[in-house]
Amino acid sequence: MRWWRRESGRARLPRGEGPWAWLSAGSVSLSLLLLALLLGLLVSRGLGHFWSADVALVTLQDGRQLAGRAVREAPLPGGSGRERLYRTGNRDLDGAIWDWVALTAIRDVDYPQELVVLERRRWSEFIGRLVALAPEAGPRLEGEAAWSALEERLLELEARREAIRELREQTILPLVRRLEREGESEATQALAMAEARVAELRASLAGASLVLESVSGKRLIQPLEEVVRARRPNAMTAFDKLVAWGQDVWRFLSEGPRAANTAGGVWPAIFGTILMVMLMSLLVTPFGVLAAVYLNEVAHQGRLTRLVRIGVRNLAGVPSIVYGVFGLGVFVYGIGGRLDSWFFEASLPSPTFGTGGLLWASLTLALLTLPVVIVATEEGLARIPHRQREGALALGATRLEMLTRVVLPMATPAMLTGVILAVARAAGEVAPLMLVGVAKLAPQVPVDGDFPFLHLERKFMHLGYHIFDAAFHGGDVQAAMPLIYATALLLVLVILMLNLTAIFLRHHLRSRHGTLSSY
Amino acid sequence: MKPSAPNLPMRQRLRQGRDRLATALITAGGIGVIAAVMGIAVFLVVEVMPLFWPAQSPGVGLETLWLPQDLAGLEAPAYRWQPTLGDDGGPLFSLTPLAWGTLEAAAWSLVIAVPLALGAAAHSALFMPRRLRARLRPTLELMEALPGVVIGFVAGLVLAPWLERHLGLALALLLLLPPGLLLAGGLWRQLPARLQQRLPLGWAALWLMPWLVMTWLLAHWLGPRLESLWFGGDLRSWLEITLGLDYANRNAVIVGMAMGFAVVPSIYALAEDALSGVPRSLAEGAQALGATRWQTLWRVMLPAASPGVLSAVMIGAGRAVGETMIVLMASGNTALMTANPLDGLRSLAASIAIELPEAAPGGTHYRLLLLAALLLFAFTFLVNTLAEVVRTRLRRRYRRLGGPS
Amino acid sequence: MPVTREARPAGGAFIDFDPQATSLEIRGFGLRYGDKPALHDLTLRVPRHRVTAFIGPSGCGKSTLLRALNRLHDLNEEVVQEGEIRLEGQDIHAPEVAVAELRRRVGMVFQAPNPFPMSIYDNVAFGLRLQGGLRKRRLDDIVEWALHSAALWDEVKDRLRASAWSLSGGQQQRLVIARTLAVGPEVLLLDEPASALDPISTLKVEELIRNLKASLTLVLVTHNMQQAARVSDYTAFLQNGELVEYAPTDTLFTNPRLRRTENYITGRMA
Repeated sequence: MRWWRRESGRARLPRGEGPWAWLSAGSVSLSLLLLALLLGLLVSRGLGHFWSADVALVTLQDGRQLAGRAVREAPLPGGSGRERLYRTGNRDLDGAIWDWVALTAIRDVDYPQELVVLERRRWSEFIGRLVALAPEAGPRLEGEAAWSALEERLLELEARREAIRELREQTILPLVRRLEREGESEATQALAMAEARVAELRASLAGASLVLESVSGKRLIQPLEEVVRARRPNAMTAFDKLVAWGQDVWRFLSEGPRAANTAGGVWPAIFGTILMVMLMSLLVTPFGVLAAVYLNEVAHQGRLTRLVRIGVRNLAGVPSIVYGVFGLGVFVYGIGGRLDSWFFEASLPSPTFGTGGLLWASLTLALLTLPVVIVATEEGLARIPHRQREGALALGATRLEMLTRVVLPMATPAMLTGVILAVARAAGEVAPLMLVGVAKLAPQVPVDGDFPFLHLERKFMHLGYHIFDAAFHGGDVQAAMPLIYATALLLVLVILMLNLTAIFLRHHLRSRHGTLSSY
Repeated sequence: MKPSAPNLPMRQRLRQGRDRLATALITAGGIGVIAAVMGIAVFLVVEVMPLFWPAQSPGVGLETLWLPQDLAGLEAPAYRWQPTLGDDGGPLFSLTPLAWGTLEAAAWSLVIAVPLALGAAAHSALFMPRRLRARLRPTLELMEALPGVVIGFVAGLVLAPWLERHLGLALALLLLLPPGLLLAGGLWRQLPARLQQRLPLGWAALWLMPWLVMTWLLAHWLGPRLESLWFGGDLRSWLEITLGLDYANRNAVIVGMAMGFAVVPSIYALAEDALSGVPRSLAEGAQALGATRWQTLWRVMLPAASPGVLSAVMIGAGRAVGETMIVLMASGNTALMTANPLDGLRSLAASIAIELPEAAPGGTHYRLLLLAALLLFAFTFLVNTLAEVVRTRLRRRYRRLGGPS
Repeated sequence: MPVTREARPAGGAFIDFDPQATSLEIRGFGLRYGDKPALHDLTLRVPRHRVTAFIGPSGCGKSTLLRALNRLHDLNEEVVQEGEIRLEGQDIHAPEVAVAELRRRVGMVFQAPNPFPMSIYDNVAFGLRLQGGLRKRRLDDIVEWALHSAALWDEVKDRLRASAWSLSGGQQQRLVIARTLAVGPEVLLLDEPASALDPISTLKVEELIRNLKASLTLVLVTHNMQQAARVSDYTAFLQNGELVEYAPTDTLFTNPRLRRTENYITGRMA
């Protein structure tokens, strides 16, 4: 009892620090533990999603069979015993993709090699057996032959889909836009030809179908064109799975979303995020540096400047949503509406710049991160010893020459740190974007081969908003969870990387500053 | 003999002209940029003004916004935020439940964050070796950089359902953590000196982690037993029946935990700055008199650094009030006026994010949401300015007391 | 050097020079920082191609005066100046004088060496590039000449591209002098140029100063009286922002006219 009081009389003081020391040490541990837990959760779930886990064939006591991947276990609501959640897929056959099974109800669990997992464009995945492959013409293939033919066919399909996509993006879309601009022209003809070609390719996709059977015995005719990929996880070696994992991660990074953002990849969101952040840094860097140079080098260093400096510093603490409101009110409704009525009257009432878009989002975020850049640059400028400036002036340099040749080069690492911190902050901000320009699904990325190549007025997708949207507006959140984890992991990785760069730069800057002030 | 450089009066004049031009441009640009940033406040005020001209927006005034209103079908006056359609057909605008929700969320997140952050700051300022501290800071800065949308997602879709199922475990954890830590301290005192050197107090933050995991496992075992012993097997229904507390899936406590996690790093960083900035001579004087390090903190350092610690908490509060995505995703967004921490809430920021894109520009709803933004702006700006003033005073005081160590 | 007349009989000795032999003329010059006066009514002439030293206790205004000579106070908005300073007869505050050009003609070397964070070569070429209009070959020539003049060439000729910060403190100070010489100044102001250096580097810099007076007017501020005695031809003693005594160095150090001066020189006053 009262062990921390006991030693007050002893000679070997002051080793005991009392209870608070331990509680405070515990709060550090707890914070770190929570951080580790969060990151661990994101990493394990985010990366685990792409692993083709084995598919279990579960035989229940009552003879019913089901096939699926075990997700987690939980105690039964009644209190005694536990139950296990299987992801069984087959939404079209069973109406759901989840199945809770009480552990006591399971008679047998097996992992037969022939179970296939088909990734489909609709109805999420199919888990069951492949009975036969029925091509457009010719005999049905069954058994192993069907499987190898399926793999071959899928590769072929992939190539054709790629061809269609290319045709659409390279030929049809530009033609359509030309038509919109110029009206009737020879483009009509070219367009018709291209569309015919697409229809032809599309027709060549259709035809073949698969005969599938779920483990509970329900049959299904699956058109082959709907199948994205097929795997037999139980027949794969660990190495195969690793290769498949790599492929799936790549698909996730390079493909567009499917099924209302609950499946597929996030490429448009990655692209949109990066493009928006790049535009933002292009805007924020010159303006931020300009303001910092003005405040630190040109402005009269009086009470007013000091007040302005505090004000700018505090703007960094103003909630991001307020900047979003400003962006919506001033950029979108104010400037955008004006621009529309001046230059885009033809397309009114549907707005061009009078609605959220890439430009307004970048501008809003630039405004949001301006204080970060100003503060960082000012700190860098203030840290440059006065004698460096005087040295330049004493050699006959004008103020501009002193700034551009001596002061700004020396402050570059500080500016860079500021810009990187700004980028890291902007990449994670979602709230203002909800007001000024993200889209749930943007079919066209804001960059293409059509003049002026960069379309500042278009809406764009964003990783952070993608998370929010998939988590709160999707139909089956449970089914989308793995994908959200993966997206969240990606976003966190990007931001952590940017922050680490900034920390490294700042460290580098400090150590250089150390040598500078040593004499 | 010296090879002389040519003297070019033309070029001389050119350089001068360029310098003047650049100075003018920098001045204009700098003032312009700063004015644009400061313009936010002006814009909000100008847009909100018409709200208080009776002709512009009938039915909106200070009383309707902030005081309970008599509503058809209700016995007592009530607060309602139903901007699109009210019970009697017209929209109902009462900002009180939103402001309440905002403050409630911020309060709960401070309840979680302040002990954690101040404890961590005290520990790292007092006990931690310099090497570990230099590592801890960037780690916590990374924690600060985690985007709100990710934290909100984890809170709303992972933590909330988990907590709903494991209320007993959470309660057991809450009860076990402090005694568990004290027990760790007690056991450490009994260790032989050699082992104590291997596990120094300065590194406790690291070697306590396995201990915390063990506490967790214990809570896992204890939780259900506790629940069946005290609460008849189900804490949630006990809460609802015995205490009359509704349990919403996404509630204020969840928001508090998530947002607390998010504001810990900023409070920590500022509080640690304030504590480690206390002149060393002060602390050494106390320790020379035989005070333990903790007593030194409590009696000497904390009184000296208290303004800095206070400003750290204020900046944390400012962040919590304005945070949007976490509240949006973890709170359920129900505009309620209830003190029950297990019920949902709706904050000003979340309302803006959800409703503003749909509100017609220039309308009453639109202007009200802008008023909400203005409130957020004014609150955070004031709090931050106050914190900044306090910090400046503190720095001056430290300089007087002998300069930062 | 022809001494024409003794001016200002009140109190101390004041040496004066023929306007023909004068490089810098300071007439009734005063300066204050806001409300705080720093210099009062200074009048003296600095002779061409000689070394003139300003000595005096800390805070007497000797550095302030030096900085006024190439208008470095322009940066500080609090500073109020009166009286005039003439370089070769022309008022340096006249509106038609470009401050950058003035600073080129009146070079300055500071207490602590302040090489820019660039290569040795770029440091020396910095001022020249600002003037512009030079071919690479000529630039090379001038850089080499400047480094020779600063007695640094032999030490750095093999590493002109190395960072200037890699040099020792004494070398850095000579580099700064070379950098200043390269733009071809008429006057070189030295603000305690050796106070941050070790004794050997100090000797090198002092030797350099003695060699430079063949082509330049030098003004040296120092708190080291031995240094002033070793290097300078004329010495001005300042106290509390006033000129107390101004005489040939030998005279001032061996036979000061005033008690104040004597006390300071013999170290009876801090």
